[in-house]
Amino acid sequence: MDDEEEQQKLPDLVKALIHHLLSQNLPPNSQPLNPNSSQFQNSLRYAHRILTSHLTPSITPDAAAIAESIKRRLATEGRSSEALSFADLYTKFASKATDVDNKWALLHLFNIISQDRKPAVNSQSRLDASMLLPNLTISDNNVRRRIENKGWEDGVVVLGRDPRNRREVAFGEYVKLVKEENDVTEEAMVTDVLYACQGVDGKYVKFDNENNDYVFLDSIRVSRATTSMVHKLCGLGVLFKRVIGYIDQSLGRSPVEDVGTVGQAFCSALQDELSDYYKLLAVLEAQSSNPIPLLSETVSSGNYLSLRRLANWLAEPLVKMRLMADLVDKCRVLRGGAMAGAIHLHARHGDPMVHEFMKRLLQRVCSPLFEIVRRWVLEGELEDIFSEFFIVGQPVKAESLWREGYRLHDAMLPSFISASLAQRILRTGKSINFLRVCCEDRGWARAATEVATDTGATARRGGFGYGETDTLESLVDEASKRIDKHLLDVIYERYKFKEHCLAIKQYLLLGQGDFVQYLMDIVGPELSVPANTISSFKLAGLLETAIRASNAQYDDPDILDRLRVKMMPHESGDRGWDVFSLAYDARVPLDTVFTESVMARYLRIFNFLWKLKRVEHALIGAWKTMKPNCITSNSFNRLQGAVKMQLVSALRRCQVLWVEINHFISNLQYYIMFEVLEISWSNFLSEMEVAKDLDDLLAAHEKYMNSIVEKSLLGELSQSLYKSLIVIFDLILRFRSHADILYEGIHELQARITESSLSSRDQKKTRKQLNDKSAEEGSWIADGRKALTQRAGEFLRKMEQDLDAISKEYSSLQEEFISQLPVQQHVDLKFLFFRLDFNEFYRRVVS
Amino acid sequence: MDPEAAKSAREALDLAFHMSNILDTGLDRHTVSILIALCDLGVNPEALAAIVKELRKERLPVSSLHPTPP
Repeated sequence: MDDEEEQQKLPDLVKALIHHLLSQNLPPNSQPLNPNSSQFQNSLRYAHRILTSHLTPSITPDAAAIAESIKRRLATEGRSSEALSFADLYTKFASKATDVDNKWALLHLFNIISQDRKPAVNSQSRLDASMLLPNLTISDNNVRRRIENKGWEDGVVVLGRDPRNRREVAFGEYVKLVKEENDVTEEAMVTDVLYACQGVDGKYVKFDNENNDYVFLDSIRVSRATTSMVHKLCGLGVLFKRVIGYIDQSLGRSPVEDVGTVGQAFCSALQDELSDYYKLLAVLEAQSSNPIPLLSETVSSGNYLSLRRLANWLAEPLVKMRLMADLVDKCRVLRGGAMAGAIHLHARHGDPMVHEFMKRLLQRVCSPLFEIVRRWVLEGELEDIFSEFFIVGQPVKAESLWREGYRLHDAMLPSFISASLAQRILRTGKSINFLRVCCEDRGWARAATEVATDTGATARRGGFGYGETDTLESLVDEASKRIDKHLLDVIYERYKFKEHCLAIKQYLLLGQGDFVQYLMDIVGPELSVPANTISSFKLAGLLETAIRASNAQYDDPDILDRLRVKMMPHESGDRGWDVFSLAYDARVPLDTVFTESVMARYLRIFNFLWKLKRVEHALIGAWKTMKPNCITSNSFNRLQGAVKMQLVSALRRCQVLWVEINHFISNLQYYIMFEVLEISWSNFLSEMEVAKDLDDLLAAHEKYMNSIVEKSLLGELSQSLYKSLIVIFDLILRFRSHADILYEGIHELQARITESSLSSRDQKKTRKQLNDKSAEEGSWIADGRKALTQRAGEFLRKMEQDLDAISKEYSSLQEEFISQLPVQQHVDLKFLFFRLDFNEFYRRVVS
Repeated sequence: MDPEAAKSAREALDLAFHMSNILDTGLDRHTVSILIALCDLGVNPEALAAIVKELRKERLPVSSLHPTPP
């Protein structure tokens, strides 16, 4: 048969059934039933209601089992013959009736009807256990009916019909009470609660702005239980309003004060969660139109929605909504990476449902962040319109790009990215930008694409997000490895970093000995005049000469180009020595390493070394004049013994002092040149070998400079030592000038004596020769030999005194210097001390 | 319907009527036939039983079976 026909048959059949049944009910001699009477229509409606509410049967559709149970029942009732005939009939029925499909339904129907009718027909005295047990259905009116029909006919409960009546009466009174207490039916309240859950005010439940809560209107009277239940359920509505308020606020803001991409992702994730919630609410609303059965009322519906059921349904959404409302409150003022970090803190929860939920949310929220990271690490582009990323860049000049161009913004660093990872990310992007800007290199793009293909990041963007921090780490590591290597290659090969460092060492730190010697020779006399009279052009020309004269001329011309003379800013009393210095011109990108401050330190060291070299040069100059000892040999035979002794002692004192000073200076020089400079340089070289990126290089260079400065007494801890050293240097220079005077005087004396001795023997012969020379020596010769001796004696005495003074001062200064050495912090200074005092000469003197 | 089907249908109805008599349901033949048709259409038998009970109940007050409480 067709479906439509079937559908049409159903109502007709129902009508027919009702008609028939009602006709049976009528007393025998009344009129036939009118199908349009109200009674009929009522019954019809009632029948329809029953039909629609009983949708599923409570037993399994097994005809044989039902037949069995019927048979058993009959047998236990004592009607065994009927049981047998029933069984017989059933078998025939089962085999013959092929067009009856739901035999089980029919049997079940008969069963129920017969059981219902039984107490009506039988007497009321016995209880039938078999009647009670199988009738456990959910539908409560059936139960009620059966209870009514059976009436608890137990021997013990001899209440007869009373309990049933009393029960009915009690139920009726209860219903009346409920109706009186509540002005509002439960269905209306359910509808209102459902409205409240969407943030809309219902008929009886309104949102109270002061208490941030949903309350009943005061005019409505409801029982306390209902009020508390409704209140609890409306809490969901309050949370919902909070969440929706936040979403609307964030999405509706003007682009100027936008929440940023992370905030937008958060809002969209929330909206997705809320869509699930809306679906649930829609289903519930559909169900809420079913009337709620209240006890003993003539309503029977299965899928109704009472407040209790609603509470059950809304339990899980309540938890989720509370989570979302908490997050919303936390993140109201946060943006970007800080927001992601705050949400992440919430995700550390034991409950697996919460954990799952937060994980889903965080994956959405962090995807813009991870995208920014990916772009930064692979391309060096910082696309951060809303300042949400934890790396901020600022426009700076090319030389400070590395140090100051980009830095970490800790407030925006989410907590699931560790600080070291953030450092690596920063460095990788910085390297790319550095390469692009300062080195004008394009080769990094190749390295970046290699990285991308290796980690497959470009292929599966989605697979790299929150919860996969190791993927992120591996991506960053790969990228940084390659980019750093590329950067170092560029620095070393294209920009010849090592060569420049070496050049600085050779020239600024006086490593190229022959060049320095020559320079000092040439420039020395120029620098002894006051500073403001020196022209730097002349000095530059002298520098060129020095370069060309020494081995430095074989150096790379590019390096030599950068070397020039620099006159420091001078005050009025300065001599040339104080303001002269060399400078090395480091251009981009090497000036990232050799910044202004670094070059200033180099200059300071150069100054110190230059002073030291000058003193050494002076001493060597003095040695040159002191060396010809033939002075003492023959020319002074004519002198008196006393003067000769004086002369010898003066000479001797001078030489002893010179040796002492030389010992000191040469040891100091050795210490500075070898133990400080060379060792630091070799350490720096070895660190350059293992440096993996530019930060390492910078650190190594810093260490190099620090060690030089510390060990060569230029640091803050050695200030007093440095000052005493400078005083010693000044003293040495004074000594040099004295020695010069002494030897000049001696030479003159020698010339006098030779001349006078010659003149006594051979005056006529040599006078003519000496006449030219004797113009300025007139006073001496004229005085004669005695005066000569006297003058010589005076001169020598004076010199001796001077030398004495100098030597005393020198020894005191030197002792002071040496005594300060052992208490210095730097361990290498102890070696200097050892060299200076290897035979404990000074210690003996001191103690 | 062809006579064969009609005959078998009548037989089935007879059997069902007998069974309902044994079970003492008080249903007459016409009602049984309607109920068979309804069950075939898939209506819940419990619902049908309830309808029958309800509609019959209106008869009960007429023939009051319950004695008044003592």
